[in-house]
Amino acid sequence: MTAMTPPLLETRSLGKIYLNDDVETPVLFDVSLAITKGEFVAIMGPSGSGKSTLMHILGFLDTHTSGDFLFQGEQTQAFDDDALARIRATRVSFVFQAFNLLPRTTVFDNVLLPLLYHPTIPTSEREARTNKAIAAVGLTDRATFFSSQLSGGQKQRVAIARALVTDPEVIFADEPTGNLDSASGAAVMEALQKLNDAGHTIILVTHESETAAHAKRIIRLHDGRVVEDTTSFKRRVANENTKLK
Amino acid sequence: MNSNDLLRTALRGLRTNRARAAMTMLGIVIGVASVALMLSLGRSFQSYILTQIDRFGTNTIDIFPVGLEKFGGNLDSLTLDDARAVARLSTVRSVAPVIVVGKPVRFEDEERSPMVMGTTREIFGNYGLELEAGRLLDAHDDDSTRFVTVLAADTARELFGDIDPVGRRVDIGGFSFTVVGVLKGMGSLLLQDLDSMVYVPFNVARSITAQKHVTYITLKAAADPQLAKQDILSLLRQRHRIRNPENDPDKDDVIVRSAEQVTSIVQSVTLGLTVFLGLVAAISLIVGGIGIMNIMLASVTERTREIGLRKAVGARHRDILWQFLCEAVSLTAFGGAVGLLFGTGMGWMLTRVASRFLGEVPFALSPVGAILALVMAAGTGLVFGVFPARKAARLSPMEALRYE
Ligand SMILES: Nc1ncnc2c1ncn2[C@@H]1O[C@H](COP(=O)(O)OP(=O)(O)OP(=O)(O)O)[C@@H](O)[C@H]1O
Ligand SMILES: [Mg+2]
Repeated sequence: MTAMTPPLLETRSLGKIYLNDDVETPVLFDVSLAITKGEFVAIMGPSGSGKSTLMHILGFLDTHTSGDFLFQGEQTQAFDDDALARIRATRVSFVFQAFNLLPRTTVFDNVLLPLLYHPTIPTSEREARTNKAIAAVGLTDRATFFSSQLSGGQKQRVAIARALVTDPEVIFADEPTGNLDSASGAAVMEALQKLNDAGHTIILVTHESETAAHAKRIIRLHDGRVVEDTTSFKRRVANENTKLK
Repeated sequence: MNSNDLLRTALRGLRTNRARAAMTMLGIVIGVASVALMLSLGRSFQSYILTQIDRFGTNTIDIFPVGLEKFGGNLDSLTLDDARAVARLSTVRSVAPVIVVGKPVRFEDEERSPMVMGTTREIFGNYGLELEAGRLLDAHDDDSTRFVTVLAADTARELFGDIDPVGRRVDIGGFSFTVVGVLKGMGSLLLQDLDSMVYVPFNVARSITAQKHVTYITLKAAADPQLAKQDILSLLRQRHRIRNPENDPDKDDVIVRSAEQVTSIVQSVTLGLTVFLGLVAAISLIVGGIGIMNIMLASVTERTREIGLRKAVGARHRDILWQFLCEAVSLTAFGGAVGLLFGTGMGWMLTRVASRFLGEVPFALSPVGAILALVMAAGTGLVFGVFPARKAARLSPMEALRYE
């Protein structure tokens, strides 16, 4: 990677104000950060600090209201619906905090869904890929269950399988272990770790320091502002320093 | 997303939400069925009436006093002399004066009150009546005032049952008549039951009713009915001393009507009827539409979230639109086809039932109505299925996913 290569995702003084019926709720202020290909980033912060909001913007699911958001150095405001759809279909995927599975639809069909909109993965590969993603989260015996017939942790794993099925470059995961026991949580983190080792960029939100420990970089939000942005190396040094004191 | 995926996604969407799809389809079925039914009934009724008129020939002309049609109008403005004078016109033929005798008819213990018509033999030809047994009335019956009668099919059966009426005697208003003939069943003509008539010689009717005027006159135009009508009107105006050069119908004391005219009246009446039925059908289409609308609106929240999710995993604006369009089209196509079959079937059954009472009622389809109904159903599906989908597809995925 040369110095000239722009970061994969970059925000400059990015702000977000939610507008509902003339009521403005400012949520993000002056967020500037850059994420390069292959990073493993954990976003942390208290509840309501804007973590999910920031993730949605970075994952092309929502729009910001001020500042800039660049993808590979290009202003995303210029992207039309088709360009955004293509990025969502092929480059990034999202594990929602609220899962967002299709109701009255089987696990298999939920996981298959992104493949229907993928422009290059051939139809013949769909079944194998879906089954593989389901197996990766340990739900093979639940493939024909409807989403309503699953436990919270199982739903979360379906959401993760759905994010893995297209094998995207960037995986956003909003508290992917929030509903899991420590064993399955560890399994999920291991899977993400492997993906990261294979070159995928991982951006996740978590409250747990164990989970965050996998990340090489932690971005901490407070009331919509970035209050800390450190790599694990810097963190270690900082930790050493506090211990020394 | 390729077209195969699209169709499968749409059908899966319908299957996933069976209740919703079924209710929507029911709305479409009801709407389309009622439009198809109403319009085909209207058309069937019209063609029924027109066949009836055709049977009696468009060159038939009736002359009757204005009082038969206008309340309080003159009822005795036509006389036998009028009929004779009309018969001498070169533009007419087969003139039959009619006196209606308001008397009951009795055979042994059976009594009926059919329409008893005192008339001449020409009437049988004019109305296309055919003989089943015996003979028709002839000139001798009239000339020698014979108390003979010809019975229409239903009257004969009701009075005599299995007995052969020819040669037997019936009592009409206290006078004894010999039955000389029985007519074939003819059904009805312009909703008037031809099979419950009784015919007696004109002169006999005149003598037992002591009536000077005739109830009406029926005849055929020799050539152009329009010309015959003109001749008749000017002759009768002259005989009745009515000056009416401006042809004001209010000044005349008789009405001369050709079947041709009746045809056009019937056409406009049945058109009105069809429009009326169409409106009734449109109301049920609207009711069906409101049903569809309700179901669609009730599912907007869920569908908006679904759209949000599909967009989040890479669906394009047009993938969403096509999916919803496909769903709407499959629903309308299924529902419309079922509705059409159902409505048409009902229409066919109703005309069969009506045929038992009114004589052959032909069944007529209304392709325009069917297409109209389908288009309206499709329109409802599009407006209430695709329009909200389009709105949702414009939102960012998160906005759609948050929708409640
Ligand atoms: N659609 C919205 N309209 C208005 N305000 C919103 C909306 N979504 C989120 N917010 C507000 O934005 C703030 C940040 O929400 P967000 O979901 O990003 O927090 P979070 O950091 O992910 O919290 P948690 O850890 O609880 O998930 C909250 O105060 C919330 O009330
Ligand atoms: Mg959150």
